[in-house]
Amino acid sequence: MSARSLFQRSCVLAGLVALSAFLFYIGKGHTLLIDTNAVTLDGKEFSCADSVSVSIDGHEPESMGRAERTMVQVGGPRHTITIEAGDQKLEQRFSVPTFLDPALVSVPAILGGAPRRYWIGKFTAPPAEETPVEQMQQQDSPAPEAPKP
Amino acid sequence: MSSRLRVFFIDNAVAILILLLIAFAIPVAKLPASFLAQEILMRLGRDTFLVLALLLPIMAGMGLNFGMVLGAMAGQLGLIFISDWGIVGIPGLLLAMIISLPISVCLGWVCGSIMNRAKGREMVTGFILAFFMNGIYMMIVLYAMGSIIPIFNPELLLSRGYGIRNVVGLDGVRQSFDNLIPLHVAGLKIPVFSYLLIAAGAGLLIWFRRTKLGQDMRAVGQDRAVSGAAGIPVERTRILAIMISTVLAGIGQVIFLQNLGTINTTSSHEQIGMFSIAALLIGGASVTKASIPNVIVGVILFHLLFLVSPMAGKNLIGSGMLGEYFRQFVSYGVIALALVLYEWKRVTRENDARATLRAGGAA
Repeated sequence: MSARSLFQRSCVLAGLVALSAFLFYIGKGHTLLIDTNAVTLDGKEFSCADSVSVSIDGHEPESMGRAERTMVQVGGPRHTITIEAGDQKLEQRFSVPTFLDPALVSVPAILGGAPRRYWIGKFTAPPAEETPVEQMQQQDSPAPEAPKP
Repeated sequence: MSSRLRVFFIDNAVAILILLLIAFAIPVAKLPASFLAQEILMRLGRDTFLVLALLLPIMAGMGLNFGMVLGAMAGQLGLIFISDWGIVGIPGLLLAMIISLPISVCLGWVCGSIMNRAKGREMVTGFILAFFMNGIYMMIVLYAMGSIIPIFNPELLLSRGYGIRNVVGLDGVRQSFDNLIPLHVAGLKIPVFSYLLIAAGAGLLIWFRRTKLGQDMRAVGQDRAVSGAAGIPVERTRILAIMISTVLAGIGQVIFLQNLGTINTTSSHEQIGMFSIAALLIGGASVTKASIPNVIVGVILFHLLFLVSPMAGKNLIGSGMLGEYFRQFVSYGVIALALVLYEWKRVTRENDARATLRAGGAA
């Protein structure tokens, strides 16, 4: 194989790898948890209206109350959120980090004009309620045998 | 005139037989014309690219490439990976195609090299090779994935912790190509982008035939010994034909499965070779000659028969299963008939040539 041919093939290979990385970035799917829970950021509390309508990327708007959470599946890093609260209508663009999944989108933070870094956060599942050890043992123990005749 | 008619009937025996069957089954099935038209439009977009993958090996004289199943496996591996990484939409499908490329190239090279050691018996070699590679594919998918190859999405894994589940949903990429350019004509949905991909594939093949390599393939297909004497690297050309066919099959399988929306991990690829080859033969192609019109006509006729046969079976016998069995019968039967006709024509041609030679010698 000549040096020119090797160079050409290497370029094609590098191009394919770069294209793959680009496709990965623009096509990565995310689970967005749209959250209307009140948040306190830098000592300031942001809360949501009693009823808001939230739409992601122009899809069917979803009606949400205070302290609710809804799940949306999206693809790609950049999205538009449209929030309607009474007469107020707000449309904002936001980006989701590639490896953040699921991502928590704070509606009160967006509505209240908080800095962008607070709009998207990592969702941490609440710890499962611990079952008392005695109760677990009771559940695991076999059912009492029926009295023999 | 009668001999020309005879030749026409012999050359198009498979297509004529299928046309007769369809002409009989359509009125019996009593399916609405709009349903048939919609299904054919969708299936044309779904399957045509796979059938296109068969053209180059035929041109290179290697017959019907049963080894295209290897490409289909590569396409499926690409789709499994993008499902695991959560890549959705068009980028996901394109990434699956790119992932399938190196796998298809390697498998195509292996397949072509083995076929070079079995010249004249390429079809049966490809058929058996597909079975052999299926075992390796199963080992990768059912054992290596999740244990050696990292799989991040636990929903894809079997409950034992390794191996991919039997059915993988492609919700993120389902019909992404088909719905990219939405077009409805007379209430029928037309998958425009899938058709554009097929047109691109067909255009690429037409262009390729005119290149030096394409001409070499045609020469090798006509006569290996003469091509070799003329300085054409016969074995390399044959390997390239199989490699390109395998790559196209991998891309075709991605297009096929995005339309279906699910992968049957262990069996989606198995029937692909058989059905694609049967469709091509129904379109009027033979073991030695095939064209793009053969592909399109074949896919339409094959799927028309597929659609009407279960309902025709149900209306005739009262059991839809008859139609299901009939599908299998048609696929295998068509291939068998085409192979028998090919062999019969070859023997007849040789006998005729021998008789002509003897007659010339006697004169």
